[in-house]
Amino acid sequence: MSHSIALMQEKLLNTPAPHLYSKRKSSWIMQQVMIALVFPTIAAIYFFGWHVLVMVALGIGSSVAFEYLYQKWKGIDITISDYSAALTGMLIGLSLPVTAPWWSIIVGSAFAILIVKQLPGGIGRNAFNPAVAARVMLKVFFTPWITNWVTPQPDVVSTATPLQYIGNFSRAVPEHMGHGEFPGLWDLFLGIGLGGNVGETSKLAILLGLIYLVGRGIIGLKIPVIYVTAFAAIMSIYGNFSFTYMITHVLSGTLLFGAVYMATDYSSGALTPDGKKVFALGCAILTALIRIVFNFPGGVGIAILIMNGFAPLIDKHFASRIYGHKKRPAQEHS
Amino acid sequence: MLFQFNRKREGAYTEERKSRTEHRPIEEATVPEYLMFPLAMHIGAPAKPTVEEGDYVKLGQLIAEKDGFISANIYASVSGKVIDISDQPTVHGKGPCITIKNDYKDVRAEPLFKQGEELSQKAKLALIEQAGIVGMGGATFPTSVKLSPPPGKEIDTLIINGAECESYSTSDHRLMVEYAEGLIEGIRVLVEVLPVKKAYIAIESNAHESVAVMKKAIIEHDHIEIRELETIYPQGSEKNLIKTLTGREVPPGGLPADVHTVVANVATTYAVYEAVRLGRPLTKRVTTVSGEPIKEAKNLWVRIGTPINHLIDECDGFQSSPGKMIHGGPMMGRPLTSGQVPITKGSSVITFLEKGDIVPAERTPCIQCSECLNVCPISLQPIMISNAYENGDIDEAEKLGAMDCIDCGNCSYICPSKIPLLENIRSAKSAIRARKEDK
Repeated sequence: MSHSIALMQEKLLNTPAPHLYSKRKSSWIMQQVMIALVFPTIAAIYFFGWHVLVMVALGIGSSVAFEYLYQKWKGIDITISDYSAALTGMLIGLSLPVTAPWWSIIVGSAFAILIVKQLPGGIGRNAFNPAVAARVMLKVFFTPWITNWVTPQPDVVSTATPLQYIGNFSRAVPEHMGHGEFPGLWDLFLGIGLGGNVGETSKLAILLGLIYLVGRGIIGLKIPVIYVTAFAAIMSIYGNFSFTYMITHVLSGTLLFGAVYMATDYSSGALTPDGKKVFALGCAILTALIRIVFNFPGGVGIAILIMNGFAPLIDKHFASRIYGHKKRPAQEHS
Repeated sequence: MLFQFNRKREGAYTEERKSRTEHRPIEEATVPEYLMFPLAMHIGAPAKPTVEEGDYVKLGQLIAEKDGFISANIYASVSGKVIDISDQPTVHGKGPCITIKNDYKDVRAEPLFKQGEELSQKAKLALIEQAGIVGMGGATFPTSVKLSPPPGKEIDTLIINGAECESYSTSDHRLMVEYAEGLIEGIRVLVEVLPVKKAYIAIESNAHESVAVMKKAIIEHDHIEIRELETIYPQGSEKNLIKTLTGREVPPGGLPADVHTVVANVATTYAVYEAVRLGRPLTKRVTTVSGEPIKEAKNLWVRIGTPINHLIDECDGFQSSPGKMIHGGPMMGRPLTSGQVPITKGSSVITFLEKGDIVPAERTPCIQCSECLNVCPISLQPIMISNAYENGDIDEAEKLGAMDCIDCGNCSYICPSKIPLLENIRSAKSAIRARKEDK
């Protein structure tokens, strides 16, 4: 018996503790976010047709291809198997209206992967959310093509979105919108008869995605809940406590999609527990300001990008107080 | 838990892996022919041998005495002959050990005091010191030193640590289930010695059986209270336990006494009972021997000095090839490469891990998931310290609180990119210490 014990001991590894590791891997986490995005994808297919699948496939395919080619060209490790590029591509595909030309998705992917993600050093190094940056860039430079909103079939007609009627200093929800009636709250929630970016139409699908992400432990409720409630509070006050005005704002545009899938992005968001709260609050305030003050709807993408820029500063300032210490590290060393 | 608002928590939900031994009564391990007693089986100065090669010793006879304030006596756990005093494998590599050849007669030395003798508070404290009792949860800090706080740091709270948060370990749990009465006696002694009005027994909620038994055992003792705590690693870490139970935080670099608290492990408390009520010095302890490669995982009463190889035999050897042998649990234990290493006062569990369990996946870039911040029980930013260290910025690592790290291992455990966070933080600590010494 001791002989076998001695033999076995020759092969014992003596690396330091901890000796066990959680089974979770980065690639698994990225896969989970993609699975959570399947809910809005299905809703988008339901409302806008199979072309949505082409958009998503084009987003994923081009993002992965750009990452692969860039890394091949640079002679660095190929990281496409971590699903991060695929996730970015999926987000881009879902971030555009169904009328977006195919090349805009590829331009968006190239911008997201090459400029925003790989230039600063690849996964985890990017200060800005690649997919959000891509959609904002596309909106700014390619507006006639990209924001040609359409309502779903059968009659594909250009329409305005609800936000164009409740933004621009408007403090109430109008009864009419263009030629038709202003959509009801249930329609806004379910995504019935709405134009807009394909992935953000059904709020129900987005909430299902949120439940999946929180249940899987990928994100906490903190960022989405603070973002949405703080935004709702500001809009309530601005809209003279009109519930309809507030809820219409909450259910319109990219707010919920952004709060669940974009503001929660690891790399571009805040790292510290309190920093995340400040980050979400900042997103809410900026989104509200942009919607109230400027003459364009949306604002979620720009708000998130601006907060992305502040994230390192927020983290530095709001890093948790360490056990036994009296103050936060930033205050202790100032 | 499913709908967390916040992913920041007091630790990590590590795998418990206690099922093989948690319901298994403690068995008396057979005694080997040769036993090794490392002179440094506690924190502080190594003990000084009081015997020489060739001496005959009795079970319970002093073989090495404490050398300085922070040090502890060591007693023979068998009767027999001292055959060697030299460097032997220990948990810390190699160190001086007294080797005794067992004569299998268990001839007992005189007890520490005569039964029936009335003991003063001071005498009881002296007995705890004399019996060589140290923190048996693994820290091995001399208990008598903990019980004699400096003036101005009067103790008002005693915490009995039964929060056995390391995976596999069930030695404290079984001790509570099977030896509740002795344990309560031990707590009574500690309460008298300190003296305090209130004692808490902290137990993790997964240990239902010990909670139930201890609740019954304390019925007639109003000053003892059971606190059932969440099962989360490292619930049993001294600093976190103090905060959970009293709301107080031990200051950086400080001791529990700084916040008027003493934490004593369950096994330590039982040793106090044996010393002060029965006059027996510390010569044995309960050790869990577990892990998937072990054929019959067991909780064993082990004579201190028993080599681990003997315990492997005691558990019918291996059923699969072990990849790691650990003194302690998988989160904080020390890896061993020699089965000659003896069980010491701090050996609560010997863990064997399968090869498939121990190899971390390949390191990939950090994705900034912030899980290491979420699971850090003292709210550090492990990845930031690790980055600072890897960038050679020791200053920044220190500012970020590297020195506060309690080495629990949660950050490395949870990291989905398998970054050696704890290893880097430890290296940063060494660099900070080295720099201070240079100045």
